Formats: sequence, structure tokens, C-alpha cells
Amino acid sequence: MTDTPRSRARRWGLALVALATTFAQTADAHHSFGKFDMGKLTAITGTVREFTWANPHTWLIVIVKKANGTTEQWALVGSSPNMMSRWGWNASDIKAGDKITVDVHPGRDGSSIGAIQTVFTAKGKILGDPAGSTGQALAGGPSQVPTKPQGQPYK
Amino acid sequence: MIDIPAPRMKKPLVRAVCGGLCSLAALTLAVDAGRAQQTAETPAVPRSAAEQAKAWQEIANRPDFWQGTWQSIAPIADNFTTPPDYTPSALAYIKAYKPAEDSPFTNCKPLGMPFVQNIGGMPMKFFQSPGMIALYIETSGMTRFIHTDGRKHTEEPNPSYLGESIGHWEGDTLVVDTTGIAADSVFQLGRLSEKLRPQGDHSPVSGVIFGPHGPNLRLVERMRLLDFNTLEIQTTLYDDTIFKKPYALEPRKFVRGIERRNEPQEWACTDNRDYLDPTTGKLELNVKDKAQNR
Repeated sequence: MTDTPRSRARRWGLALVALATTFAQTADAHHSFGKFDMGKLTAITGTVREFTWANPHTWLIVIVKKANGTTEQWALVGSSPNMMSRWGWNASDIKAGDKITVDVHPGRDGSSIGAIQTVFTAKGKILGDPAGSTGQALAGGPSQVPTKPQGQPYK
Repeated sequence: MIDIPAPRMKKPLVRAVCGGLCSLAALTLAVDAGRAQQTAETPAVPRSAAEQAKAWQEIANRPDFWQGTWQSIAPIADNFTTPPDYTPSALAYIKAYKPAEDSPFTNCKPLGMPFVQNIGGMPMKFFQSPGMIALYIETSGMTRFIHTDGRKHTEEPNPSYLGESIGHWEGDTLVVDTTGIAADSVFQLGRLSEKLRPQGDHSPVSGVIFGPHGPNLRLVERMRLLDFNTLEIQTTLYDDTIFKKPYALEPRKFVRGIERRNEPQEWACTDNRDYLDPTTGKLELNVKDKAQNR
């Protein structure tokens, strides 16, 4: 990429605005949106139990250790491998046992499920989930991603 | 599900008579199976090398649908900005229709025509050989076979998700006529007005009226290049169980991608869960929310 930091920041800003306002344009209709609060972002940090690279959706199961000492299992759904591979994802990016942080749209009903927005991998790779992107954006290649988690940290 | 009556379906009496005659015909066929098979259709004859070369040459002169792939840039659902002239049964269906909480196709079942081409996010690719154009639709991993050899539709095509497609060129426009679409293909027959749509619903299919189509649903697609990078497909729906006259949908646009990331990939749908319930560890299929019983 030949982007300058400023144009990157601007485009990321634009992407956020686009995300907030034009969800109706989303391309990934295989996706179930009914379960998730798309207006809310939560940062989940934990250990990967399972990463399933499968259609129609990828699945990321994360064990989260809470501040009170208990553990909780979060089931996170991502886009299809077809879309994700075009946005720089690789099946080998996430492995069981990895420490990981994920920005997710959490379950509407408060249960520990989420729709993946951005993954911050153990190796420092940052991957944006294409769900909710326009066809034009998907054809244009990987999105700009934030440098650190944007969601409210889950404790 | 509410059934929309199909006026063109055969009447029971007609069907009974036909049933009897058809059984007789079947018996005759069974007795004389060998000869019947030979006369059932004209035997296929291979093209000569010269004919084949000529056919390829004609293909070379067609508009370039072939380089790279095509990515949908239109919204998934059709807008139905101009309200269709609905039949009374369709109006009754719409009146009773309750918008589903969720999209009707989060599972692995094929969507079928016409909706399958609406799902963006993954590209489509055209291939061609003499007498046939193939269109691979990655988002369902299915390929349409569009016959361009001048044939006519079969009288009673067996139902299939993509239907029976026959194409011909009108100048630079590829016109594709499709019949024989399976009864359970995903079909949008309209859209709820803005004020009837659920508030704060981020789903791309918010307010979409899904429903059954009639057995004689016919699609006529007009495909043309607006410029090198843009393909337009305009589809007209013929279904007299729903529309009093054929309904022309607004054209959809597709953008060409020639980079490697836009190349077609395998789509094998294997993981049919909607979401995993972390408390029970069980897969939840969430079928109650489906717009159609898929």
C-alpha cells in the first residue's frame, strides 16, 4: 500500500461513518444480524478454543477469564472464508491456545455471543471482518483497520 | 405459509384424464422402450472442426463479459420503488405478511434464481463455449448453464434451483429466458413501505416481502456492459399468480475485478449452524426467525 498515514486515518474515519450509516448496503446476507447489537462494540480478550474456517461462516470460540476469576466462553461468528481470504485473512492466522483480542458486536440478549468486527491476533496481525461491507468495498480489497481495539473492554 | 393459487395449474378433471392417457403412453413406451428412446429427441451430432472453429470465431466478436469476475454492487434486496400491479391473492398474502426477524438464508440450502445473483460479497464469472454460456455464482457455489444453441424451452422442465436458461444476443445485450424454477427458491415479491419496516433493523433484507412464486415463474434478464468495468442486469418477472402484468425490476450493477483476489473460489457450505449457544454448547438453528420455512 502506498497510502500516507493521513489518508489512512481519513479513510478509516470514513469507513466508520459508512459503517454506522449504511448498514443497509451490506453485502453478506448469509449473515444473521438479528442476534447481534450492531450498534454496540465490545472488546473481548481471551484464549482461543476453536477457530473453524468453514462456509457459510467462520467460528471463533474464545475462553475469557473474568475479573472475578470465573471463565466464560464466547462464540463469535465471522464472514465466509471466501470473503475473508480476499481481505487478507488466512486460515492459519488463528490457532487454538492463542491469546487474542476481538472487537465484536455482542448478542442483543446479553448472552456471550458476538459478530466479529476486528481481530488482533497473537502475532500482531490485525484483520477486519468484511461483514457489512459493500460489494464495491469487497471488490476493492482489504479495508483499513484500527491499530488497537475500539470496543468497550469486557471484564 | 399461504398458498397463492395458481390459475394456470391443470384442473383436477384435466389432470385425471391426462393421468390416464399418460399412463397408457408410459405403458406403450415401456413395451417399445428401445425405439421410443431413439425418437424421443433428435440425436446430437458433433460439429465438424470447421463449424466449431466458426463458432469460436463468433464468440470472439461478442462483448467481453469474460475477463475477470463480476462483483455485485447493488443492495441485496430489490426496492420495488414502483409498486407492482398485484393479483388479489398476492395482495392478501402481503396484507397478512409479518416481517421476519432474520434473513431467510443463513443456512446452506441453495437460494436459487432469481435471488442467488443478488447476494454480493463474492463474485460471479462467465465462461463460454460454442452453444453454451456458463455463469459460476460463488456465493452459492452453483453454475448456471445458459444454452445459446437456438433451442426452445422444454414443455415441462423439471424444477431446479437455477431453472432452465436459454440465451440469445440482441446486439450487445445477452437476453436470458429462464423457466422451471424450483418452488422453494428464495423469491422476493415486494417490499414493505418505509413506515412498516422494523425500526433500527440493520439487516440488508429489512422489510423484504419473501414469499412463494408460482409454478410458471419466468425470468427475462437483459445483460449488457455499460462500460468495460460495469455489467448491468435488468430482470423482468413473469408470474401471473403474483403480478397482473410482468414486473420490470430496477437494473442491478456489477463491477469487474481482474486482480487475483477477485478470482473465483470454491464455495462448499458445510457448517450449517446459525450460532453456538455457549451455555449449552449446542448449535442453534434459529429456524423460528426464518422468513421462509427453509
